[in-house]
Amino acid sequence: MNPTRSSRRAGPLLAAVALLAVLAAGCGIPRDPESTLDRVRGGTLRAGITASEPWTTLEGGRPGGVEVELVERFATELGAGVEWVDGSEADLMAALEVRELDLVVGGLTADTPWQAKAAITRSYATTRVVVAVPSSQPAPDDIAGLRVAVEAGTDAAGILEDKTDAIPVRVADVTQVRGSAVAIEEWLLADLDLRDTGVHLSKSKHVMATPMGENAFLVRLERFLIANQGEVPALLDKAEAGR
Amino acid sequence: MAEHHEMPPDKHQKLVKAVRLEWISILYLLSAIVLLYFTLGSSQAMKAAWVEDILGLTPPIAFLVASRVRNRKPNDRFPYGYHRATAIAYLCAAVALLALGAFILYDSVSKLLKFEHAPIDLVKPFGDRPIWLGWLMLAALAYSAVPQVFLGRLKQPLARELNDKVLYADSEMNRADWMTAGAAMLGVVGIGFGLWWADSVAASVISVDIVRDGWKNLRVAVDDLMDKEPTVVDDSRADPLPLWVKNELMLMDWVKDAEVRLREGGHVFLGEAFVVPVDNEDLVGRIDRANQHLLDLDWRLHELVITPVPEIQRPEPAGEGG
Repeated sequence: MNPTRSSRRAGPLLAAVALLAVLAAGCGIPRDPESTLDRVRGGTLRAGITASEPWTTLEGGRPGGVEVELVERFATELGAGVEWVDGSEADLMAALEVRELDLVVGGLTADTPWQAKAAITRSYATTRVVVAVPSSQPAPDDIAGLRVAVEAGTDAAGILEDKTDAIPVRVADVTQVRGSAVAIEEWLLADLDLRDTGVHLSKSKHVMATPMGENAFLVRLERFLIANQGEVPALLDKAEAGR
Repeated sequence: MAEHHEMPPDKHQKLVKAVRLEWISILYLLSAIVLLYFTLGSSQAMKAAWVEDILGLTPPIAFLVASRVRNRKPNDRFPYGYHRATAIAYLCAAVALLALGAFILYDSVSKLLKFEHAPIDLVKPFGDRPIWLGWLMLAALAYSAVPQVFLGRLKQPLARELNDKVLYADSEMNRADWMTAGAAMLGVVGIGFGLWWADSVAASVISVDIVRDGWKNLRVAVDDLMDKEPTVVDDSRADPLPLWVKNELMLMDWVKDAEVRLREGGHVFLGEAFVVPVDNEDLVGRIDRANQHLLDLDWRLHELVITPVPEIQRPEPAGEGG
């Protein structure tokens, strides 16, 4: 291959790509391979839900919680109604993979193992589990040897046990603990009059799942989430008050 | 840079230029690799283009290492000098190219067969304005394509002048790289238009090209290590130098018969000449004068050992494709 020949081919190819890009900018890029956004708009959003308080709840079979609220608002923006389907995460993801569902919510986080079967949105909220003490007490310099109440059967309990020198005291509901150090969701601190000790046990980036490759729908949902992520703390408080 | 003991001054100037060009290539490739890394997303074609850019680093690095190492004179521990270092580096790079190409090909084709649709979502690189990642991918790919066209064009004539196969392979790699980036751009634009298969198809095409490159380079590297006859810089035909040396020897009146075998040591040739002298008169003087004359024929002929023999045993002609 001599240089003049290769450069003669480079010009037109790059020009064609540039032209395509310019054309594309004018006509709704990206598009959905299977037209999900077009179908949902003015129609029905088929959403899968699995309960994961406070993000999703199914009290008396009725969907509620932060993510349900967000999805309902998103559907309203698209002029669509929501048809809720509840099931296990595995069932819902299998349905999402074959596009029998348009969206799945259920306290999913960015490190979800479903990435190969579903397109995960960018995170719209980040929450942390922190070690806190009642605000009447000074924050300790060190939590070593401190008895910390932690919800039984959570990853926070395990992290507290393995990664810190604190003494975990497993309880059924940390929000009911008074006057002692607790491992608790950061967004509950103000409500329960607690002070952050600066020890953060875990961090969760919250996401939703959409069908693979339905990029117009994915991008539309992400735009909605970016515009509405400021509402999340208020929605969390509302969900907590409703308990 | 120090004067090279294997190179005439005018060639040395070209070498300095080539070294500078390769440094520019490495810095540019590193910037393109970082840029592509941050825009990879879930696109197969982007992944393939990224891998090709990373592999594109090997020829410039091999060239720069070789241009230093070959400047070292042979010593008592390495009496043949350090020429082979390049060939070994080259073999490793070729194997890596082949393996990675095969992996991406398998990955892309299996994704195509599973009808997998690549998701590309929004990113927020500049403050609060979200933008579709696809646009950034296209920009990154354009950056990894356009300069390669010019780098490749500048390297090719230098490679011919310096008789340097690594440099030549590098200019070929530049060509492969910008074509890869172009194919990946088509793949991303395809996704934008809702053609889910465009990405995997582009990635497959790219990986076939990587595999082909790897196979070609592997063959060249193995040939070099096996001391195959010298070939011209683009490997298209045998180099005429051994024949020329042989003819020069045959023309000397004291030589009854002669045979020459040369091998490539990086950008220069080394080897032996066997001569059947008509008589033993002043044999040492004759051989010495012949050696001086032959080494002056061409700068690429770096070392020649002339051995007087009673009779010449010629090698068998190789079969086709040998």
